[in-house]
Amino acid sequence: MRLLLEPPGAAGLDDLVAAGDAVLAAGLDGVLLAASPELPAPLVAAAALAARVPSIRIAAEVEVGEAHPLEVAEEAAVVDVASGGRLILVAAPAPGREDRAGEAMDLIRTALAPAPFRFDGPTWRVPAALPQNVHNVEERARVTPSPVQPRLEVWGAGAAREAALTRGLGVLAGAGDDPAALGAAWEAAAAALGPAAIGAARARREPYDGDPAALVARLRAGRAAFGQSWAVVAAPPAAAMAISRRARPRVQTDSLPDGLEAHWDATLSP
Amino acid sequence: MQSTAAAPADPTALYERFAEDAALAERLGFASVWSAEHRAWYDGWCPALVHAQAFAAARTERVRFGHAIMLVPQHDPVRLARALATLDRLSGGRVDLGAGLGHRDAEFDMLGLRRDRRGRLMDAALDAIAAVWAGERGDAPPVQRPGPPVWIGGMAPQAIARAASRGHGLMLPQTLRPKELRAIIGDYRAQAASPGTVGALRDVWVEPDDARAAAFRRKVDAHFREEAGSWWVLKGQVGFSQPEQMDRQLARIYDTEVVGGPAQVAEELNELYAAGVEFLVLRANFDFVGRSELREQLAALAEEVAPRLEPAAARAA
Repeated sequence: MRLLLEPPGAAGLDDLVAAGDAVLAAGLDGVLLAASPELPAPLVAAAALAARVPSIRIAAEVEVGEAHPLEVAEEAAVVDVASGGRLILVAAPAPGREDRAGEAMDLIRTALAPAPFRFDGPTWRVPAALPQNVHNVEERARVTPSPVQPRLEVWGAGAAREAALTRGLGVLAGAGDDPAALGAAWEAAAAALGPAAIGAARARREPYDGDPAALVARLRAGRAAFGQSWAVVAAPPAAAMAISRRARPRVQTDSLPDGLEAHWDATLSP
Repeated sequence: MQSTAAAPADPTALYERFAEDAALAERLGFASVWSAEHRAWYDGWCPALVHAQAFAAARTERVRFGHAIMLVPQHDPVRLARALATLDRLSGGRVDLGAGLGHRDAEFDMLGLRRDRRGRLMDAALDAIAAVWAGERGDAPPVQRPGPPVWIGGMAPQAIARAASRGHGLMLPQTLRPKELRAIIGDYRAQAASPGTVGALRDVWVEPDDARAAAFRRKVDAHFREEAGSWWVLKGQVGFSQPEQMDRQLARIYDTEVVGGPAQVAEELNELYAAGVEFLVLRANFDFVGRSELREQLAALAEEVAPRLEPAAARAA
């Protein structure tokens, strides 16, 4: 299982870098950045963080369905290029635009492939072929630069989860979602998708109250019922090392040899 | 951030280089670093300037970042306002919005927009951006109040009127001669109740050797010939099909680019100040310019040209 840290309320660059440094030092997999009042554009924050902290994955939760999806695709491509291929794009519907989430994700992924394309959806047609645009108009559009990742990781969150599930994309569930219900929805989607479901990220947001054992219990439950493969832990940077020492090792393999956890408890400093 | 036919480059390295060049510009005392937006071009031309600037801003402390220019009508204004507010916050208030119209039909068409509506789109976008920064959608206020400074790019009467009526700065293209600058700046100052800063772009290259200066001019010509031939609409047709028109446009670039030894470069730039320009955005960074060459140019501009510039209060970007 891969673990991302979601730091609370980053208000500036120092907060972002502190979180990124803590994640890197602790050997966690990355951070998730959501919009905050001070930093309302997580992809911009992701670019800044990528400039300061190497290696870690940077997930950015982005509204889709209102702005043109090509704008989101371009921004994601630039951040992925600047970061050397470390972006995870987490799509959540803009308020009132829940019905467009699937189309937006389709257009974003189409645009991120390195080939000229046409797209004709209920909301967006690309190129639009408007009669007023006449000079060197393209019959197929091409978004550049291409992301570093050959298939940029796109997850659906919130009301975009259903659309993501049916497309074989990763899903990010909320902390309050029941693993059994998540597992049932996943199984239904996977049955319809067949092999196309293989490898799709199954992620959930996790609260953290300072007790690694409680986190381990939640992650194991998520894994058992939902096949959870990623966790997004809402915790301050100072908690990264404890999570990485006490929770991360316990959720990587299916089981641990008898006595190993007791050994860790006896020898690892808190 | 271009990987062109003339100068292919690793895309990620281009963004690294941008951040390193910005840090060098900061060390040399430049006020700001300006970038141009286009999209959907073969060379990866950066279509998300704010994100590239956030990458560089995180590696610098003092230098500002501006757009010369951002194609504002091609963006969702609320999304753009929030991106700029985020960069403003992350950089500690080091961003300027340089707002231009855009001209390529393919860019507008891809986004479902009519190019002939770009003026209206611009006005609506500037209003919407200001509203977001004013907190009308619940956003925290930007570090700079009421928001990042806005510069209007262009030279058409509508652009001058837009900048004047809104009290925004003006960012004039690189191909205007001093006499033309003086007339436009006069118009702007006459119209504006409280005029903003008047900036102008200039292509510049510090090279006292005549043969090497000529070689640079040939490379600039090839660079702009690619762009003009592919994009510029001249007499209703695209450039490569209008070779004579294109030659005329490129002659104007040749005529206005500033190439020579430090004293000559300073003298020509001082003519721009004398024409009323208050802020110079100098371009020495082209796809064909190597890393060490660019570093030498930035150093020459900072150390040999800037001390010769007048008025003393003028800032070279």
